[in-house]
Amino acid sequence: MFEMVTMKKFRHFALAVVFLGSYLGADTLSLSLVHNMTDNLFQNRFSEADQVSNLSFSLDKDFSSFSLFASGEYSYLFENSYVTYCSLELGMDYLRPLGGKTALYVSLTGSRTFYKEDYRDFNYLDVNAFIALKSYINQTSILKSHYSFVYREYRASLFDYWSHAVFLSMDKYFQSRTTLKSELNWGYKFFRHPYQEEAVDVEPGRHGFQRGLGKGISSGGSTPSMQSQESEGEGIQIASFSLLLAQGLGSKVGLNFSVTKQWVISGQNPFESVYEFYLVENPSYDHFSWHGYEAGSQLTVLMPWTVNLKIGYTYFNKMFPGIESYSLEEEPLEITRRDRRGRIDLRLEKVFARISVFVHYAFVDNRSNDPLFDWNGHFISLGFEWNHFYGGQQ
Amino acid sequence: MKRRLFLLAYLLGCLIIGVSFGQKSRHFYNVDSEKKIDGRIQDIKMEPRYKSTAPFLVIQLAENGTQTVYNVEISPIWFFDQDFHKGEDLTVIGSYYLADGKTPSIIAREIRYRGRTLALRDKHGFPNWRGGQMKGKARKRGKGKMGL
Repeated sequence: MFEMVTMKKFRHFALAVVFLGSYLGADTLSLSLVHNMTDNLFQNRFSEADQVSNLSFSLDKDFSSFSLFASGEYSYLFENSYVTYCSLELGMDYLRPLGGKTALYVSLTGSRTFYKEDYRDFNYLDVNAFIALKSYINQTSILKSHYSFVYREYRASLFDYWSHAVFLSMDKYFQSRTTLKSELNWGYKFFRHPYQEEAVDVEPGRHGFQRGLGKGISSGGSTPSMQSQESEGEGIQIASFSLLLAQGLGSKVGLNFSVTKQWVISGQNPFESVYEFYLVENPSYDHFSWHGYEAGSQLTVLMPWTVNLKIGYTYFNKMFPGIESYSLEEEPLEITRRDRRGRIDLRLEKVFARISVFVHYAFVDNRSNDPLFDWNGHFISLGFEWNHFYGGQQ
Repeated sequence: MKRRLFLLAYLLGCLIIGVSFGQKSRHFYNVDSEKKIDGRIQDIKMEPRYKSTAPFLVIQLAENGTQTVYNVEISPIWFFDQDFHKGEDLTVIGSYYLADGKTPSIIAREIRYRGRTLALRDKHGFPNWRGGQMKGKARKRGKGKMGL
């Protein structure tokens, strides 16, 4: 019943937004359809194949330096339809130049995301504030910074959190067509009440894994298994440093290398286990959950008929403080979980008059000291995006 | 089934209404004056260009060979999204016009650099950019696509 009401609301809201957007003179409408196929939807050793179709729209309306925007998306899973979800977002942003070489960007958004059945505990309300500043120190060097604040409330309130993040980067372009960029990140995430006793209604057996998503879940599905009954929240503070080297090879080929090192300065994940699932933006598995490093490289080639080709390889080595590894028999291994992952990406994209189409292939090989997360998987996406501009040809 | 057809008809109706009544004048991007310029960036700045829009990112591009300098209008939001530098090579496809009757200028439709193509407008000159893009890039990672 809950899902039916949710989907009905989504349909009505989406249609109302499209109608009002067009009737009131929205400037652009974008629609995109992406079809995904994978042999490991839940990204663990119990591979499960599925196909996912994602339909999304976005609208915006400019008022000089202000713009209002709305977007929505709906994802349908063919085999695991109980993970189907939809989301809606409304927001406004503001762009203001500060002199000829500096600009300020501010945005404020609110969104709701709804999952069906098993994952409805991950339904959330999100409020996000974002402020960015970009400045040309000189013609070959750019300083960028941004701050973001996220407030999120879940249906299962043990996941509720707020977070702050600050980002700073500076680059330098050399005449050898080389760009060198360094980035600093700092973030603080506060789980407001991760220890409160609360049953999270998930049926792990249906997904081929045996462990729950947090301290509020056990292998039984809805029986809480707490490590603590504390009532206060828990904060995690992280910092990271990145270096990027980009090299232009003629006008049609670009190559870049990047490396990121991240540290958990204080706190640790309050949950028993962390998962990443396709489609479920898991609150316990994000950039606040690990320390370690990532390294990657990407080759971009502009091919004949203006087809864009991207080939990339990424490797990471991440440790998850506070997360213990378990055997497949659910015995604690008394070691902190560590994942090492290699990933290959291949993407082709072609932009036509009003639509763009792409095909993307990824292969992921994840090695973990927690055998449940020793997995690999193939991921294929086919998609197109259509843009319609209601306004004049500015 | 009937209900779905009704919803589909409703959606299409909305789009048609939007196209019919939301259409404004078309007097800026001239498809017939399109040209392709290969050049090198000389300067980058933000300038007001159109009423009711945010200031634009404008690049001064010196054409290879002729050294003619063009003012190339990019878009409002791309100032944040793309990091252009003086000395970088660009290929620009766009609508050519003379600003104030004397300054060679291009309204960019497509930019090619570093092995990438950036589609700023469609082939009719309608913008591809939209609100919320900057913020979206910062946090909507993987959603809707294969989130790994």
